[in-house]
Amino acid sequence: MSTPPPPQWVVDLDSAPASKPKNASLPDPPGYTASMTRKERALSSKKSRVPPTPEEMDTLKMKKAWEVAIAPAKQLPMNAFGMYMTGNSLQIFSIFMVFTLFKTPVMAALGIQRTFAPFETPGTAGRLLGVKVVYILTNLLMLALGIWKVNAMGLLPTTRSDWLAWEGERTWSERAVPKEWL
Amino acid sequence: MRLHAALSLAACLAPVSAIFEDDAYHIDFHYALLGLPKHDATFFQKPYGGSKASLLYSISENQTIGAINPKDGALVWRQHPASEPRGKGHLRAADEQDTIVSAIGNRVTAWSSSDGRLVWETNVDGSTVEDLEILEQEDGITKDEAKDAIVLVSGTNHGVKRLDGKTGRVKWTYEDSSNDTPFQVSTSPTTIYYISLHSSIIGAGSKLKVTSLSPITGKKLDQYTLSSDTEITSRDHIVFAGANTAAPILAWTDKDYKVIKINIIGTKTVASFDTPGKSPIEQVVLHAPGHVNSQPHFLVEYQTYFGHSADVFHVDLKKNSVSKAYSLPELQVRGTFAISTMDANVYFVRVTGDEVSVVSSASHGVLGRWPTARSPALAGAYPVHAASEVVVKSGAVTAARSAVLFSNGQWVLIRNGDIAWTRPEFLAQASSAVWARLPEVEALAAELEVERHQNIVSAYIHRVKRHIQDLEHFPAWAQNLPQRLLGNVVGRPKQTTVDDIQQDTFGFHKLVIVATEKGRLAALDVGARGKVLWNVHLTQFADTVFKYPTLRAHSGYVEVRDPSFEGSLFINSTTGGTASYVNLHLHGPQIAEGQKLVSYTLTDGSLKGALETETQGKTESVWTFVPPSGERIVGYTTRPLKDPVASIGKVLGDRSVLYKYLNPNLVLVTAVSELTCTASIYLLDSASGQLLHTMSHSDVDTSRPIPSTISENWFSYSLTIDSAGSPESRGHQLIVSDLYESPLPDDRGPLGASSNSSTVKPSSAQGDAAKPYVLSQSYQIAAEISHMAVTQTRQGITSRELLITIPSTNSIIGIPRQVIDPRRPIGRDPTPNEQAEGLTRYTPLLPLDSKWHLTHKYEVLGIKDIITSESGIESTSLVFAYGHDIFGTRVAPSFAFDILGKGFNKIQMLLTVAALFVGVLFVAPLVTRKQINSLWTIP
Repeated sequence: MSTPPPPQWVVDLDSAPASKPKNASLPDPPGYTASMTRKERALSSKKSRVPPTPEEMDTLKMKKAWEVAIAPAKQLPMNAFGMYMTGNSLQIFSIFMVFTLFKTPVMAALGIQRTFAPFETPGTAGRLLGVKVVYILTNLLMLALGIWKVNAMGLLPTTRSDWLAWEGERTWSERAVPKEWL
Repeated sequence: MRLHAALSLAACLAPVSAIFEDDAYHIDFHYALLGLPKHDATFFQKPYGGSKASLLYSISENQTIGAINPKDGALVWRQHPASEPRGKGHLRAADEQDTIVSAIGNRVTAWSSSDGRLVWETNVDGSTVEDLEILEQEDGITKDEAKDAIVLVSGTNHGVKRLDGKTGRVKWTYEDSSNDTPFQVSTSPTTIYYISLHSSIIGAGSKLKVTSLSPITGKKLDQYTLSSDTEITSRDHIVFAGANTAAPILAWTDKDYKVIKINIIGTKTVASFDTPGKSPIEQVVLHAPGHVNSQPHFLVEYQTYFGHSADVFHVDLKKNSVSKAYSLPELQVRGTFAISTMDANVYFVRVTGDEVSVVSSASHGVLGRWPTARSPALAGAYPVHAASEVVVKSGAVTAARSAVLFSNGQWVLIRNGDIAWTRPEFLAQASSAVWARLPEVEALAAELEVERHQNIVSAYIHRVKRHIQDLEHFPAWAQNLPQRLLGNVVGRPKQTTVDDIQQDTFGFHKLVIVATEKGRLAALDVGARGKVLWNVHLTQFADTVFKYPTLRAHSGYVEVRDPSFEGSLFINSTTGGTASYVNLHLHGPQIAEGQKLVSYTLTDGSLKGALETETQGKTESVWTFVPPSGERIVGYTTRPLKDPVASIGKVLGDRSVLYKYLNPNLVLVTAVSELTCTASIYLLDSASGQLLHTMSHSDVDTSRPIPSTISENWFSYSLTIDSAGSPESRGHQLIVSDLYESPLPDDRGPLGASSNSSTVKPSSAQGDAAKPYVLSQSYQIAAEISHMAVTQTRQGITSRELLITIPSTNSIIGIPRQVIDPRRPIGRDPTPNEQAEGLTRYTPLLPLDSKWHLTHKYEVLGIKDIITSESGIESTSLVFAYGHDIFGTRVAPSFAFDILGKGFNKIQMLLTVAALFVGVLFVAPLVTRKQINSLWTIP
C-alpha cells in the first residue's frame, strides 16, 4: 500500500510561511522554526565551513580574559586625574566619586567568578587563575587610589588628634582649694 | 580632621559675633540704680523754666545724683561723682532754673537739670560741705539769672560761703572762729541764717546759736542763742531747720519725743507743743514748704511703731507766733506724709500702704482720696518717705503723684492710687552674688549619681522606678501642655515663679541671690530679665548691722557671712526664709576617692597651704609661698571649682595635638613692689606649693588694680603701665598665657601617658614634677580693666569668652578667646595650617570691637564682679554682673548652635507642614488612580 499523500495541514506545517512576526519579543510557538534569511544561511554555511579548534578557542578566550583583567588599570589614570581635580574639600561630588572608587573594586572582587565564567573552559581553568589574580590586583590599585583620596581628605584616623577623645585627663592625687571654699 | 578645620573656620568667624538686634533688651537686663533716695533731697522739679513736665530728682544714700522720668521710672541721667571723703550728700534746685546743685564731700557741683552735664564745680579744700541752700531771693526780689548757692562748710575752718550761680566762684566767705559745730544754713528773703550747735560743757546738751548774715556782704548782722540744752543732746533731736519761706523755722524735740519746740528764725520766742502721747513715738518729721511764696504752714509727722499721725501748724507772720491749726488723726498703719505746693497753697499728701489722701494746709477736709492697688512687690512693706506733686483745679485735687520709698527698698511712683512704676533701689551696692542651686535639681543629680554606682540591672530597676514616680507630675504637665505650646508659638511673656525655674527646658532661668552692703538679700531670675522673686532684710535673721555680707551657695540654701558677726546664716534659696537646720548638709568641694585635700589661705602677706587631715579642723602645714623681699601679694586667682574641659589637647592645623596642661590646683598670685614699680605673676601648684611659672613686668602703676583670671589651661591678667618709665608705652596691657604639657605636638611631656600624677610626690621615673610649657602674648588695650571673668558652659565644648569690665566706659566686653590666642604668629602671615586653626597675624594693639560689648547701650556703673554659669544648653553661658548696678545677659561664644534663634518663624513652619499635609490629601487619590490605570493599560 502506498502511503496516501499528507494532508494539506501537514504540508502547511512543513513549509511555514516566511513571514516575520511583528513583535520579535514574542517567543515562537512550539514546533515552529523560522526559515533562515539568505544572509543567515550564508553565515551559517561559512561558520560551519571553518570550525575553530578548542585550542584556538582557549587562546581567544584567554586573550579576552586578559583584556578584562587589565581594564580597571586602564581607568586608573583617568580616575586619578578626576580625584586630583576635585580637591580635598568635602563636597557631594568628591564624596560620590570616592564612594564609587571603593564600591567598584569590592563589587568586582565579589563578582569575579561571574566575570570570568564565559572564559571558563577545561583548557583555560588553570591559566585563568593568574588572570584573576591580576584582575584583583588592578582592582586593588583602584582601591588604593580611593584610600589615598580619603586620606588626602583627612578622613582616615591616622593622627594623634583622631584618638584624642579616647585619651583621658590625668587624675591628680591631691586637690587644693582656697580655705573659703571648705 | 577636616571637621576640626571646619570648626576652627567657624571659630574664625566668631570674632564678628555680636548681640543680635532682636536679642538686645530681651535676653539682657540692666537695673540702672541710684540707691535708696534721701528724703530731704528727693523732689519733683521742672528741668528748665517754662518746661511743661517735671522730672524727679534725687540724691541717694550712696551719693548718686539722678533724674528719673516720673512717667515710666526710666533714668534720664545719673552722675556718680567719685569723691572722697564721702559724707552727707545734698541736692538743691531752685525754681525757674536749668541747673541743680549738689554737694558731696568737699565738692559743690552744678549739673544741667535736663541732661546731667556738668556746669561748674567748686572744691572747698580741706573741708566738707555740711549744708547747701539756694538763695531764692535777694532783698525780697527774685533774681532772673542763675541763683547763687549758699554752702556751709566744716573742717579746719567753719564758715558760710556764697557761690556764684553761673560759675561757682566764691563771692564771700563768713568765717566762724568759735568752736561751735556747724549745723545748717537757712535763708529768708532778706537774711541768711547760720545755725550752729554751741555746747558749753562736754556731755551736756547743746545750745542753738543762730547767726544772721547779710546776703550781699556776708557780714554778721546779729547773733542769738536759744537755750535748748535741756532737750538737744544729739543732732538727731533737731527735727528741722530752714524752709525758704518768709518765716523759716527751727524745730527740735527732746529725747523721748514728748515735746516739740518751734522757733521762728530771727525771733527769740520758742513755742512749745506736746506731742500726742498715746503710743511711744519713734520719729518726728517736719514738712515745711520750700518756696518763698508759699503760705507759712507746716506739718509735723509723728511716727510710732504701729501707726502715724500729724499736726498742722500755722505761723502768724505779723505776731511772729506759731499756732496749731488742726490734727490729722492717727492711723493704725504705717505711712508717711509729703508736701506739695501750688502757687501759695500748701497741700499735704498722706501715703499709706492702702491709700493716698490729700489735705490742704488751711483745713482738715480731705480734698482727694485714692485707694492704692496692691502689688506683690510691696507685700509687707510700708512707706518710709515720699515726695509728691498735686494738681488742683478749682479747689479739688484732680491728680496726685507721689514717689514713695517703701520699707523693702522699692521706690514706687503712685499716680492716683495706681502704681506707675517700681524701681528696686535696694539692689544698689551689691556686695556679693551667687548662683542659687535649687534643691530639686540637686535631688535629680543625686539620684543619677546613685544609678551610676550600681550595677546595670539594679540601676535599670532604679531608673524605671524613678520614671514611674515621675508619672505623678504627668497630669499637671499634660494640662499645661497646650498653654505652653501656644506660648511657644506666639511667644507671649509670662510671669515667672520658682516653679518655672525648676521646669525650665533650656536652663536660662537661673536664680541669683544678691546680698547688698546694707544687708538686703534678694533673689533674681536672670532668664526673666532680672525679676525679683523675693527680697528680705537680713536683720530679720540676725540682730546686727551688716557691713559687707558675702554669700556661698549650697543645695537649696545660701550661706551668709558678715564681718559683723561670727558664724553664718542659712537662708532658703527658693523662699527667702530661714533654712531648717535639719536639712542642712554642708559639703565643700567634692574630692575623689583617695585624693588628699589641701587648703590654702592668704595670711600675713604669704600664701600658706595646709593638708586637711581626717579629723575635722586639724591641718598640717605643707607649704608657704612668700614673694621676694619688697614685693607684696595683692591677690590670687584659682581655677573655678567647676571647670569642665571637653578636649585635653588642642588640635593643630596639621592634625597633631598640643596637650593642654590641665592642673586643677593652679593658683595665680599677683604681687607688686611699689618701690621698683614692678608687678610679678606667680603661677603655683597649690597642692605642693611649687612655682610653675613666673613673669615680671616693670614700670607698672602699682596703685591700679591687676585683675586676673584662670580657666582651663590658660590665664590672663591686665596691668596699667606707668608713664614715668617710658612715655611711649603708656597704657594698659592685657596678657594671655596658654599652658601646654610640652612644646612639641603629639607629646605628653615628662609625665608621658600615665593617667595619674602627683605634684607632691613626683615619681622618680618621671623626674621632677612636670612644669608646663607656657606661651604668652600681650596686647595693648585702650582702657583699664577692673575685673575679669570667663564664660562657663555645661561641658566646656563651646569656646570661651574673656569678660572684662571697663569702668571708664561703664561697659562689659566679651573678648572671644580665639582673638587673644597666644599662638598667633608674630611678624609673619599665618601658614595655611595656622589659618585652618583660625589664627591671625599678631597685632600688638587689640581694638575693643564695639560688637563685643555685651552691655550695648546700657551704662553699667560700678561693677564689682561678674559671675558666670552654665545654662541648660551647651552653647550658652549665663552672665550676671553686680556692684552699683545689676546687669545680666547670656552669651553664646560659638553662636547658638543648639537652639533656634528668634528669626525662626514657627508659624511659617507649621503652616508649611499643614499645607503639605493638605496637598498630600488631595494628590493621594490622583496618584492611586494613575497607578491602577497603568496596571490595566494594554501595552
